[in-house]
Amino acid sequence: MTLASDPVDFLTVQDLALSSGNLVITMPTSFHVARGETLAIVGESGSGKSLMAKAIAGLLPPGVTAKGSVKLEGCELNGLSERDWQRLRGRRVSMLLQDPFTMLNPVMRAGRHLDEVLRDDPTFHDRKARRAEVERRLMEVGINNPAVADHFPFQLSGGMSQRIALASSLARDPEILIADEPSTALDVTTQAEIMQLLKDAKAQRGMSLILITHDLRLAFSICDRVLVLYAGSVVEIGRADHLGSGPFHPYSAGLLLSEPSATKRVKRLVAMPGRVPMAHAVAGQCAFADRCDWADERCRAARPGLEQRAPGRFTRCLRQPEIQGELDALRRAALEAAPPISARLANELPLVKVDAITKVFPGNTATHALKGVSFHIAPGESVGLVGESGSGKSTLGRCLVGLETPTTGKIEINGIDAHDFEALKPEDRAHLRRTVQMVFQDPYSTLNPRHSIGKTLAESLRAGQSSGDMNVKIARLLTEVGLTGDYAKRRPAQLSGGERQRIAIARALAVSPRLLVCDEPVSALDVSVQAQMLNLFKDLKATRGLSFLFITHDLAVVRQIADRIVVLYLGDVVEEGSVDKVLSEPQHPYTKRLVASVPTSRASDHQTESRRIPLM
Amino acid sequence: MTLPEAIDAQPVRISRRLAQIPLLVALAFVVVGVVVLCAVLAPWIAPYDPSLQRLDVGVSPPSSDFIFGTDSLGRDILSRTINGASTALVGPMVIAAGAFAVATVFGLLAGYLGGWVDTLIMRWVDFMFGLPSTLIVIVVVGVIGGGYWVAVAVLLITFVPSDTRIVRSAVLEVRPRPYIDAARSLGISKRRILFVHILPNILPIIVAYVAIDFAFALVNLAGLSFLGLGIEPGTADWGRMLSENRNLLFGGNPHGTLVPAAAMILTAISMNLIGDWLFEKFIG
Repeated sequence: MTLASDPVDFLTVQDLALSSGNLVITMPTSFHVARGETLAIVGESGSGKSLMAKAIAGLLPPGVTAKGSVKLEGCELNGLSERDWQRLRGRRVSMLLQDPFTMLNPVMRAGRHLDEVLRDDPTFHDRKARRAEVERRLMEVGINNPAVADHFPFQLSGGMSQRIALASSLARDPEILIADEPSTALDVTTQAEIMQLLKDAKAQRGMSLILITHDLRLAFSICDRVLVLYAGSVVEIGRADHLGSGPFHPYSAGLLLSEPSATKRVKRLVAMPGRVPMAHAVAGQCAFADRCDWADERCRAARPGLEQRAPGRFTRCLRQPEIQGELDALRRAALEAAPPISARLANELPLVKVDAITKVFPGNTATHALKGVSFHIAPGESVGLVGESGSGKSTLGRCLVGLETPTTGKIEINGIDAHDFEALKPEDRAHLRRTVQMVFQDPYSTLNPRHSIGKTLAESLRAGQSSGDMNVKIARLLTEVGLTGDYAKRRPAQLSGGERQRIAIARALAVSPRLLVCDEPVSALDVSVQAQMLNLFKDLKATRGLSFLFITHDLAVVRQIADRIVVLYLGDVVEEGSVDKVLSEPQHPYTKRLVASVPTSRASDHQTESRRIPLM
Repeated sequence: MTLPEAIDAQPVRISRRLAQIPLLVALAFVVVGVVVLCAVLAPWIAPYDPSLQRLDVGVSPPSSDFIFGTDSLGRDILSRTINGASTALVGPMVIAAGAFAVATVFGLLAGYLGGWVDTLIMRWVDFMFGLPSTLIVIVVVGVIGGGYWVAVAVLLITFVPSDTRIVRSAVLEVRPRPYIDAARSLGISKRRILFVHILPNILPIIVAYVAIDFAFALVNLAGLSFLGLGIEPGTADWGRMLSENRNLLFGGNPHGTLVPAAAMILTAISMNLIGDWLFEKFIG
């Protein structure tokens, strides 16, 4: 496979294939990045995108081998010795990683990270000059307070740490920066700030940028071109605006459609069935064939090549010319808004009434997690509880299921005073447990790794005083969450993140609760799986008449599944109202900032331009 | 699922698992296996009665009749070493397993319940750490005088504090996991959470440490026997043999001390290797 590669291309990747022993991670991949260009590599987990980034920067973990060539202005990078890399890294090729908390050395002050990089430069031999340069560099990433340089990483917020990390990866003025999910671990408002900084730094320096992300919307908002990676194969490359308005591959189309919109509520998200396969399992066919509605025998006969179908647009879909009309129609259909939610009767008795609760975590400096929060949830209602980390939203959710006890205030659930579970009569407590259940964020630790799925569900059924044939009930629960009965014999380690989260929901449903508190239930999942889960929640709401409290930072999720929204900021409710009203006409400055930070594609860029809020 | 997890999730066959055991650890398993066989089959495989005194032979170097020679009472060194395997295995095993059984209950309660239970248990642990435990064992066993099992019991108690700390810190790691929260919000009883939800998750750590504790207990018990405490005089015991035959080391029959010493060192090192390997396999 050859791509028309221009000799002036800055970075050229030719047939780069990664493998670990016999395990194929990516199939031979070719692409190029021009000087000053931004390329997004988009893919779900398992696509091989992060390892591809590491391969370009020569940072592959031991055991993973790269074949093929990576050329920077004609100079081969693949196979360079560590010594040669040392001269290149930072100066020509630099990398920004995902997790700001582990990227900084915990025993080094923030400024030292930059100082360390500048040390080798003869202009900054002098300590004072170096210090001045550190401060200048910090200003560049929006840190105007020079004292931050003397802080240790643990004293900094995620956003601040990521700024420091960005400043040090830019310190040697690299010609190309590879950013691997640089904002995923951050709060939404901070995310937008970091992306803006990246965009500015890139524009000012004429630097090339490779952005690795799972978020198509983010990719469209700041990148020139987008490369879509699926199970180790490039399935589509094209200009961001083209790809955004009419993708040429069913996978890109599916990915776009499964991404929930923050501005419009749809009837049902288009969710691709199944999950990303391993690269080696689909090496001899179209990687996406098993999940594709259009796949026929030709797609499964051999691996299709990456073909140019329009100027600068490549796709690996054989049937693209015939199905393009259908893809476009699907996209138009999916954008039709769902009918507005009928307003609830105001005189209905609330299922949950929270009255002025506070929560103080004692310690050397007491943390006031909640400062007098009041709200209610009606039967059958979905409430979105929105806020960033530190807003107290998780603490509030844990108070409702009795995992925390509020310091003061009142919680009434189904007419029972539930502010302290320990102080309740056993029958009341049991009643509450059967009324409210919780689904947790991290799918990987939500299930006990030593228990089989069947054991987990059976225990939960017994806790709900369920009688009768356990196996039948377990099978029914599994079917309800979209799995088959044979999952009962499996263990959590054999399941994917989405499957684990389904089991966690089944576990909660086993006691037939009336309210499900979901703490970021989809934030750790891939976009296509996320859409499946959101549809499942919609189904459960319709079939069981469940009430939901969705704790999330993601406005798009709230838009799709909540009726009402409560915005929490530093332990206080700052805004409350119907989803449509709050998201389209936010009143409180914090809500406005939250709404503004949702990445939008370039067409509507002017809305988001005015939003650089200095932190210190 | 990320790639490393996908690799982990692949089913592993027993044969592949065996192939992954490093040679050194495999040898350690062989050594321990031989010691166990000696302990169980001693009456049948030992060439002589271990306490049979052949005063007519007296001290003798290795010969065709006595592979490792005899001690000053004419007792066969090989037979005594084979018979010594049982005291070398049983005592340390009881100490290591018993101490962890107690420590598991203490550690689970302290780690999960917290509050005054935690304070009470952990301050007792701190107190025990403050005592010179070896000295206490020597004094207690010396004063009470009761044999082997008293020594085992006293050693067992001195092993509990450090084991409690290990179990407690493992519990603290598991306790904040969402699956424990989920069990709590389902209203599962505390006892069930402790023993059905938490214990299986920390068991690998405990198993690994039991093997490491075994090695320490073996050396400690042998040390007491060497000092003439615990085990009754005349019993075939490796520590005892060391002290009985130490004057034969440079005259007469050096094998009288070298053979039990080698047995002891090999067993202790092997158990340590197995413990380290288990620990890395489960936790590393």
